Amino acid sequence: MSDHKIEGYEFKPGFKGMAHDTGSDQTMFKGVHWGKAMMWIFLLSDTFIFSCFLISYMKGRGSTLVDWPNTSEVFGLHVFGVEVPLLLIALMTFVLITSSGTMALAVKYGYEKNRKMCGWLILATAIGGLIFVGMQAYEWSKLIHEGVRPWENPFGAPQFGSFFFMITGFHGTHVSIGVIFLFIYAYKTFAGHYDEGKKGWFTTMKGDYVEIEILGLYWHFVDLVWVFIFAFFYLW
Amino acid sequence: MHPGIIFFLVILGSVLFHIFTPWYWTDIASNWGGMDDTITLSFWIGGGVFIAVCLFMIYCVLKFSYKKDRKAEYKPEDKRLEKILTWATTIGVAALLAPGLIIWNQYVSVPKNALEIDVMAWQWGWQYRLPGKDGKLGTTQVVNINDDNPFGINLDDPYGQDDVLIQSDLINLETNQPVKILLRSVDVLHNWYVPQFRAKMDAVPGIVTYYWFEPNKIGEYEVLCAEYCGVGHYAMRGGVEVQSTKDYDKWISEQETFKDLIVKQQKIEFENKKIVKNNNFLLNKEIYKEE
Amino acid sequence: MSDEYENKAGYQAQSSETISSGGGGSGSASDIDYVRPAEIPEQDLYHGHSFISKWVFCQDAKVIGVQYFLLATFTGVIGLVLSWLMRLQLGFPGAAGFMTAEHYYQFVTMHGMIMVVYFLTALFLGGFGNYLIPLMVGARDMVFPYLNMVSFWSFFVAVGVLLASFFVPGGPTGAGWTLYAPQSILEGTPGSGWGIILMCVSLILFVAGFTMGGLNYMITILQARTRGMTLMRMPLTVWGIFTATVLAMLAFPALLVGALMMTLDNVLGTSFFMPTILKAGEVLEYGGGSPILFQHLFWFFGHPEVYIVALPAFGIVSDLISVHSRKNIFGYRMMVWAIVGIGGLSFFVWAHHMYVSGMNPWFGFFFATTTLIIAIPTAMKVYNWILTLWRGNIRLNVVMLWCLGFIVTFVNGGITGIFLGNVSVDVPLSDTYFVVAHFHMVMGIAPLMVIMGAIYHWFPLVAGRFLNETLGKWHFWLTFLGAYSIYFPMHYLGFIGVPRRYFEMYDSPYMTSAVGMNEFISMAAFIVGAAQFILIFNIIKTLKTGKPAGHNPWQANSLEWLTPSVPPEHGNWGDKLPIVHRWPYDFSVPGSKEDFITQTTPPSEVVETEVEKT
Repeated sequence: MSDHKIEGYEFKPGFKGMAHDTGSDQTMFKGVHWGKAMMWIFLLSDTFIFSCFLISYMKGRGSTLVDWPNTSEVFGLHVFGVEVPLLLIALMTFVLITSSGTMALAVKYGYEKNRKMCGWLILATAIGGLIFVGMQAYEWSKLIHEGVRPWENPFGAPQFGSFFFMITGFHGTHVSIGVIFLFIYAYKTFAGHYDEGKKGWFTTMKGDYVEIEILGLYWHFVDLVWVFIFAFFYLW
Repeated sequence: MHPGIIFFLVILGSVLFHIFTPWYWTDIASNWGGMDDTITLSFWIGGGVFIAVCLFMIYCVLKFSYKKDRKAEYKPEDKRLEKILTWATTIGVAALLAPGLIIWNQYVSVPKNALEIDVMAWQWGWQYRLPGKDGKLGTTQVVNINDDNPFGINLDDPYGQDDVLIQSDLINLETNQPVKILLRSVDVLHNWYVPQFRAKMDAVPGIVTYYWFEPNKIGEYEVLCAEYCGVGHYAMRGGVEVQSTKDYDKWISEQETFKDLIVKQQKIEFENKKIVKNNNFLLNKEIYKEE
Repeated sequence: MSDEYENKAGYQAQSSETISSGGGGSGSASDIDYVRPAEIPEQDLYHGHSFISKWVFCQDAKVIGVQYFLLATFTGVIGLVLSWLMRLQLGFPGAAGFMTAEHYYQFVTMHGMIMVVYFLTALFLGGFGNYLIPLMVGARDMVFPYLNMVSFWSFFVAVGVLLASFFVPGGPTGAGWTLYAPQSILEGTPGSGWGIILMCVSLILFVAGFTMGGLNYMITILQARTRGMTLMRMPLTVWGIFTATVLAMLAFPALLVGALMMTLDNVLGTSFFMPTILKAGEVLEYGGGSPILFQHLFWFFGHPEVYIVALPAFGIVSDLISVHSRKNIFGYRMMVWAIVGIGGLSFFVWAHHMYVSGMNPWFGFFFATTTLIIAIPTAMKVYNWILTLWRGNIRLNVVMLWCLGFIVTFVNGGITGIFLGNVSVDVPLSDTYFVVAHFHMVMGIAPLMVIMGAIYHWFPLVAGRFLNETLGKWHFWLTFLGAYSIYFPMHYLGFIGVPRRYFEMYDSPYMTSAVGMNEFISMAAFIVGAAQFILIFNIIKTLKTGKPAGHNPWQANSLEWLTPSVPPEHGNWGDKLPIVHRWPYDFSVPGSKEDFITQTTPPSEVVETEVEKT
C-alpha cells in the first residue's frame, strides 16, 4: 500500500508494516476503499461456500454404490467424426481465462482514466462471460439429452448428475450475476459516471474507477473457482 | 437480603443437591466403570472450580459493594497472576483429558475375543443376528431384505447360512463375554443404548458402525433408542438379558438359524409372510392410536 | 438504583472537540493531545424524509438495530411459548389434549431453531451489533447503510417463511433443530414435505441477509473507526461482536450448502445425504449418499454458531462488569486474545458433537483435545471477570445482578461442557438430558442474562429513560433462580440415562423416579417464562414515565455515551466526529477527580493522573 500517501501516517515495509497498520487508528487496510475491503471479505466467505461444495463432492464421490462415470467420455465432444475428449471444456476455460485478462486490462485503463478503452474492455469481458454461460448451457442440454438428471445418470453413479448440476449451476449463477453487473458497469463507464463521481443508485458513495477493480476482483474469483471445478470434475 | 447471600445459598444448594440427590447413575453393569470414574474426577475438579469461582465472586460482591468515597483499585493487568492461572487451568484440563483419552482408546480398540452381534434398526424396532458355529456373520444388503430374508443376508455368502436370527427386540448376552455391537439401520439414524452399560453409538443407514462392551452383571435391562428417529422415537425400546454361561448356551441352542428359516419358509410360506411388516404395523398402530 | 452516582457526569464529549482538531502542534499542551488527521472523508448519509423511509425502510443503523431487536424478540416469544408447551407435555403428560408426538417434535424443532438462530444470533449481531458498533467505534453509521437495510428485510422475510411453515399442510418440520438427514426428509417425521423445505429456504435467506449485515459490521470496525480509535482501544463489546461476525461469515457457508443440498434431496430427489433406504417394506429410490456428511456440514456451522452467540455475550458482559464495578477490565489484552483465540479454535472442534455419530472413532482423540484446549482461554475470561470485581467499587444494581447471574450460569454450563467435550465421558451422557441441561445453561441462560443486563444498561441510551429498578430486580431474581432450578436438576435426569427428545418417558422403571422432578422443572419453566413479561411491561411503562437518564447516566467511558444528543440522532455525532485518546476502561484512575475518564478526554486535561498507556 506504500503507493498511497496519508497525511501524518508513516508506512513501514514488510510484516512490520502490517503490524503497524493493524495497530494504528481509523483503518486497518490503509487507503483501501470500503467496497474493495468488503469484496475481499465477501469472497473469503464465498470461498468457504465453494469449499463446502467441493469437499461434499469429494466425500459424495467416495461413498457412491455405483462407479463414477468416465469423465473424458461423458464430457467428450463429437467434432467432424472424431471423438475429442474435453474439447468443449477446454474452450470454456480458455474463454473464461481470456475474459479475466480483458478485465485486468479494463481495470488498468480505468485507473488511467481512459474511459473508452475501459468501457470496451468491460464489454469484451461481459461477452466472454456470456459465451461461457452459453457453452455451459449447451453442455447441460447435451447431458440432459443423453439422460443425465440430478437424480439419475445412465453412465454410472447418480451423484455425478447431482453434484455436476448443483456445482456448475451455482458457479454459472455467479458468472451470470457477474455478466449482468459487467453490462451495468460498461454502461456507467461509457456514461462517464466514474469520471464525474456520480452517485450510484442505492448508495451515497461517489462513483470511482475503483468500482471496476472491485468488480474485477469478483470476476477473477469466479475464474479461479472455475479452475478448481475444472480440475475436480473434468480431470479427476 | 443482600444479593451475595442469595448467590451463596444457590451455590450451597447446588452442592447439597449433588450430595443428597436421589437421582444418579443406575448401577453399572458393564466394564466401563472407567467412564464413571472420569465423571467423578470431572466432578471433583470442575465442581471445585465452580465453587471456588462463585465463592470468590460472592466475597467480592459482599466486600466491595459501592461506597461513595471509596475508589476502586487501578490495575490493568497482572502478568504473573495471569500466567499462574493459565498454567493451573492447563494442568487441570490435562488431568481431565488424559483419563478421557485413555478410556476412549479402550473404547475404540475391540478385544479379539469379542462376540460380534448384528443389531438391525428400523422405524421403530430392533432385531438381532448372531454368528453361527463358524463364528462369522454373513454379509448383508438392504435391498435383499424381504419377508423371506428379514436381515437381508446375501444368499451366496456361505458364512450367512448358519447365522442365528433373533426376530425380536429382546436379546440375551453371556456375562463376562465381550460383545462387539455392529449397528446398521435400514432407514434413519438410531442408537442402541442401555444406560447400565454406559456405551452407545448411532446406527447410520448405509454404513455399519460398532462399539463394544462386556456385560458383567446378570439381569434384565432396557434398550432405549438414543438418537431421534421420528415420531416413534420415544417408544422404540428393546430388552437385554444378561445370563450365566449355562443359561446362555441353553438359550442360543434354541434359536433359529438362517438355514432353518429358509427351510421353514419353504414349508409354510404363507404364515410367516408378515414378520417385518407386522412388527412395523403393530408399533405404528400403537403410536397413532391417540389420533 | 440509588441517586448517589447520578448526574455527576458532566457531558464530556465537547471538551475534546475544542482541542487538537487538526494536525497542528502549536502549544505544548496540545502536543500530547495530538491525534493525526482523518484519513477518510466524511460519510455522506441518506436522510429519510417520509415515515416509511425514516422508520420502516430506514438506513440508520440504530433504527435497524432496534428493528432487529424487536423482530428477534417477537420470534423469541414464540420460541418461549413453544417451550411452555413442551414442558407442559413433559411435566404433565396428557394435560394438553391436542399434544401428539408429531406436535411435540415440531415444537422441539422450532423452539431450537428459533432460539439459536432467529433469536440469539439475530439479537446479538443484528440488534446490539447494529446499534452499538457505529457508536462505539465513532462512526456516523455503518459503511453500507443501504445493504444494512436489505439485511434486515431479508431477515424479516426469513422469519416470515419460517413462521409460514406453521400453516402449510403437514406443519413445520419436526426433525429436531439439527435437521439430521435422512430423518428430516423421510415420512415418519412430521413436516417432511413442506415443513423442511420452508425451513431450508428460511435458513438460506437468513444466511444471505446475515452476510450483508456481517460485511457491514466487519468493514465498519476495520475501516471506519474515528481518529485515535485503534483496535486495542475498542470496547470488548466490539471485539466480541467483530469476532463473532468473522465466525459467522465463515461458518454460515456450511449451513447454506447443507440446506441447499437438503432442499435438492427433498425436491429433486437427489441422493446427497440419502443412502439406500427401506421404508415400510419397500426400497426407496435413493442410494449412495452419506448421512454423516450432513452432520459434518451442520456442525461445521453449528459449533462456531455457539460462539457466535457466546462471544458478543462475553464482550458485552466484560463492559458491563467494568462500568458497574468502577474498575478497568482486568487483563484487557488477555481478554482480546482470548476472544480471538476462542474464535479461531472454534473451527477445529465441531465433531465433538459427533463422538457417537458413527464417524471414524479415531477422530475422537483430535476433537477431544482441541475441545478441552478451548476451555483454557474461556477459563481465563472467567478469571478476569471475577478479578475485575476484586477491589472494585461494585454498584449492585440490576445490570450488575444480571452479570453475576451470568457468571454463575456460565461457569456451571462451561464445566459441564468439559464433561461433554471429554470424549469418553460424552459416551454415556450424549443424547441424554445432561446435554439439554448443559447447552441451555451455557448458551441459553447465560447469554440471555447478558442480553437482559445489556437491555437495562443501554435502555437509558436508546430511550433516554431508566428502566424501573424494582421491577428489574423482580425480573432478575425470578429469572435467575427459576432458570437455575430448571437446568441444574435437569443434569441429573441425564445421569439416570433419560434420553432427550422423548415425548414421554415414564414407563421405564428407573425413569419413573424422575416424575416429581419433571413436574417441578415444568412449574419453574412456566414461572420463568412468565417473568419475562415483566420486562416487556417495564419497557412499555418507562418509555413514557421513566426517570430521565440524561447524558452518560452510568458514568461510562466508551463513545456511545458521549453523543451530543440522547438518544443519538442519525449521524450520531453532530458536527464533529469524536477524537479518542485512550481505552474505554479508565475507571478510578489514581490522581483523577472523577472515578472515570472518558475516551475523548485529552491527556492534557488529566495530566496529574497515572494512566496506563493504551
